[in-house]
Amino acid sequence: MDYPQQFDVIVIGGGHAGTEACLAAARMGCRTLLLTHSVDTLGQMSCNPAIGGIGKSHLVKEVDALGGAMARATDRAGIQFRVLNARKGPAVRATRAQADRVLYRNAIREMLEQQPNLSIFQQAVDDLLIENGRVAGAVTQMGLRFRAPTVVLTTGTFLGGKIHIGLENSAGGRAGDAPAIKLAERLRELPFRVERLKTGTPPRIDARSVDFSNLEEQWGDTPLPVMSFLGSVEEHPEQRCCWITYTNERTHEIIRGGLDRSPMYSGVIEGVGPRYCPSVEDKIHRFADKSSHQVFIEPEGLNSTELYPNGISTSLPFDVQYELVRSIAGFENAHITRPGYAIEYDFFDPRDLTYSLETKAVPGLYFAGQINGTTGYEEAAAQGLLAGLNAALAVRGEEAWCPRRDEAYIGVLVDDLITMGTLEPYRMFTSRAEYRLLLREDNADLRLTEQGRKLGLVDDTRWARFEAKREDIASESARLASTFVHPQTAEASQLEVKLTKPLTREYSLADLLKRPELEYADIAGLKGEPLADSQAAEQVQIQAKYAGYIDRQQDEIDRLRRYEHTLLPADLDYNGVDGLSNEVKQKLGDARPETLARASRIPGVTPAAVSLLLIYLKKRGALERATARQSA
Amino acid sequence: MTALSSLDGDTIAAIATAPGRGGVGIVRLSGPAALAIGEQLCGRSLQPRHAHFCQFSDTDGSVLDSGIGLYFPAPNSFTGECVVELQGHGGPVILDLIVRACCNLGARLARAGEFSERAFLNDKLDLAQAEAIADLINSTTEQAALSATRSLQGAFSREVDELAEAVTRLRVYVEAAIDFPEEEIDFLADGKVAEQVTALQQRLQQVLNQARQGSLLREGMKLVIAGRPNAGKSSLLNALAGQDSAIVTPIEGTTRDVLREHIQIDGMPLHIVDTAGLRESADVVEQEGIRRAWEEMATADRILLVVDGSSPDADIASAGLWPEKNERLGAELPVTVIHNKADRSGRKPTVIQQGNDTVIELSALTGAGMDLLRDHLKQCMGYSDSTGSQYSARRRHLEALEEAAEFLAAGQEQLAAAGAGELLAEDLRHCHNALGTITGTVSSDELLGEIFSSFCIGK
Repeated sequence: MDYPQQFDVIVIGGGHAGTEACLAAARMGCRTLLLTHSVDTLGQMSCNPAIGGIGKSHLVKEVDALGGAMARATDRAGIQFRVLNARKGPAVRATRAQADRVLYRNAIREMLEQQPNLSIFQQAVDDLLIENGRVAGAVTQMGLRFRAPTVVLTTGTFLGGKIHIGLENSAGGRAGDAPAIKLAERLRELPFRVERLKTGTPPRIDARSVDFSNLEEQWGDTPLPVMSFLGSVEEHPEQRCCWITYTNERTHEIIRGGLDRSPMYSGVIEGVGPRYCPSVEDKIHRFADKSSHQVFIEPEGLNSTELYPNGISTSLPFDVQYELVRSIAGFENAHITRPGYAIEYDFFDPRDLTYSLETKAVPGLYFAGQINGTTGYEEAAAQGLLAGLNAALAVRGEEAWCPRRDEAYIGVLVDDLITMGTLEPYRMFTSRAEYRLLLREDNADLRLTEQGRKLGLVDDTRWARFEAKREDIASESARLASTFVHPQTAEASQLEVKLTKPLTREYSLADLLKRPELEYADIAGLKGEPLADSQAAEQVQIQAKYAGYIDRQQDEIDRLRRYEHTLLPADLDYNGVDGLSNEVKQKLGDARPETLARASRIPGVTPAAVSLLLIYLKKRGALERATARQSA
Repeated sequence: MTALSSLDGDTIAAIATAPGRGGVGIVRLSGPAALAIGEQLCGRSLQPRHAHFCQFSDTDGSVLDSGIGLYFPAPNSFTGECVVELQGHGGPVILDLIVRACCNLGARLARAGEFSERAFLNDKLDLAQAEAIADLINSTTEQAALSATRSLQGAFSREVDELAEAVTRLRVYVEAAIDFPEEEIDFLADGKVAEQVTALQQRLQQVLNQARQGSLLREGMKLVIAGRPNAGKSSLLNALAGQDSAIVTPIEGTTRDVLREHIQIDGMPLHIVDTAGLRESADVVEQEGIRRAWEEMATADRILLVVDGSSPDADIASAGLWPEKNERLGAELPVTVIHNKADRSGRKPTVIQQGNDTVIELSALTGAGMDLLRDHLKQCMGYSDSTGSQYSARRRHLEALEEAAEFLAAGQEQLAAAGAGELLAEDLRHCHNALGTITGTVSSDELLGEIFSSFCIGK
């Protein structure tokens, strides 16, 4: 039957991409439907129980600045918080939290249930409604038809999912869940490029069978970090520690002995796995000279006795898993509660998407999360939010939006995906962001809250708090720039304790703050009152310390900006462009970049090739049109 | 509306005249900052479409050349952008210096065909001409690459490649330390990176020094003419200088002091020093002259050893000087042996290569063989042909290497002063990009690939 009620946005899938997508669309006032195969697993962390980390926390905080759920749920579910790279500069610091799976799920579920404009329906989706080349809705297993002009597909590893343990394999979307086979078959009929990827998890361990007496403990930071701009330490539940143990030569011997029954090494698995998150058999095989590997033992939750041994993801047969686990210090008598496994799944070449994450082939249809070849909850959440907000913009008839590479890691993520595609599960790293010094965890709110407010994603509470902070930063920066310390004064001698040379002339407090030896706390109180808002004070300091580098990056951005506004026609025949090498023609044809800037970022596309494209566009008279459209 | 073509907003500069020995050489600037840079170089304001005679000064105030400055405001110019032309006296060295001054003031070197490209994009050229530009960009890119390799000659090119690889390796360590802090590979903290940065800096400096050997081109080569009395040293000076600078007589010991002359061969400066003939002498003044001759030779880039080719003991005469020269100045100082007086010896003007040394048969008196000497001297200065593309290739490489060195120094300072690994990383990225203009760029994904194959990453 046709469901009687019409929706604006339908989101299929209730993982990290799906929940952010439906929350965003609903926040923007769209009548939104979330279709999930199981209401009980909404917001489920299928892999390790942690949120954040290098590059990833940047995404989480950006999602947060746009009003998303992940950071706030993490603050309510985190049982160990740390700031990684704390001794390095602020641009590369990253917050990471171990999360209690149940608390996290509950927090997400609560937000979903309290969100106005959002309905949830439990039923697997078997088909999409496509009318006149546009998406028109979705059909569930029992034949129920839901109609909406936009559909966001966030099916994770469920499309054509196949689980491997040793040489045995079975269909599955996640251990214990059925895969979406019919939908996968249906999608393979549409004109998308489909590939296979692979990922894996370690066997889980019963904590009651582990001997912790000789294991190194790892506690969270003091003071406790928070993830959300609106978060507070008071929200955090009881804190727990993780442990660190190591594999040893005997572990490696056991693994080597089982390689002949590894689906990875016997060629059963065709999908490509991530290089940065290799299975333990991969580590031993590829780095044979290393006699030991770290294993982080992470608690699954406050009320769970299960442990997640991070670092021994494997798809070896269960008997080998059993032996290898028991060879590790602390695990001598360990009981495995769930075997480790590898999972292969379909993903769609993200080069078939536009920057709004809408598919080029089926207008109204958006893809977000692992379906696009990414890995990680944070990467999924970022795409979900973006797809959801763009679906809402499309419903409103407004132009799509995506942050640029110099505005957000979300921009880097999307630009990388749609420009270069991916050969392995794509994970965010700070080294992917050329404007890393601008895209910091600490300024995600400053970079994106205003845009979020314009889009209708940011509520009054967040907006008020943000405006107060922004005002504090501006007025304090102005005060420091106009307050001077003179040589041979009491203030000067107070400073000279920390300086190598005495002051020879007057300096503004702002100039003094740029010196590596001085901190905000050293200078702010010399004359006048320092800021009470520590977040704003931190911002003032970071902006001063990075000033020269930030200016330089800004110049670089301005220089490249105009290429961003030169659109390449979707039907451009690269074979007809004089002078391009065959290699460049092939690369451009595969990627079909939307702008000249994207074209220039494809590896192998040289400045000369960009010139040739410009001349070609000009000849076709397409350059004026492209540029006019942008400035219109 | 701003011009479409300068999409990157850059102001570009290049030598616009055909390379070689033209009487006039033009440096062209195009882009939004062209007027500001042009006025700074000319030291005066430029009226649209007026010819201003002025001196072109470098950023440090030194005068490079004098000539005409011309300003064509947008859109009525060759490229449709703001254009300034500096018309000087030609000669690759001076033009190169003017281009360098433009770059120091904020312009960048134009790519092959870029002026024409901008002209086309701004409707200054028609469609038929556009076809030619595409060809030009394409062919000159290849040609530039070719001549770049030629100008960088095998060994040097390899060193730049190795340098780029060393930067990649260093970045692998730095980026790994930043992106994988839980992997027990914090090279930033253990001082390994600081060591590598220092080593890299030294290496970059060496390569840069080598690349600057072309500075002979800029500052000129010091050439000392030496030899036995009456071999015709002063005649050779006069023949090279094209005027009677030195008094020439058949009397031995006529030149008692050193004589200096500055000449240009195809625009390349040459400092020639004529010295007293080398022999045992009782004359105190002549003794002093001979002492000074040795002093001059000690600071020479090359010695022209003049031998009277018509004297029967010509070969013995030159051989007789070798031990003393090698003993006093070392064997590395290059020598060109001139067998003078070919008009009398009857030998044909030729160039003979003997190991590292060159022997040239010529006659300073009749001028026969002087062209051979001039070509030989040009080659010694690194100016091996007159296509000029090598010139821009060399300039481009020098700019890239210098830029790389600056970023590396800045990064090291950040690491040393503030322990700021992320700022070092940022400077290294720019350093890498600068070298990448010679060797090809490395994408962030390729860099990550290097990290994953170097370290066992993944918890």
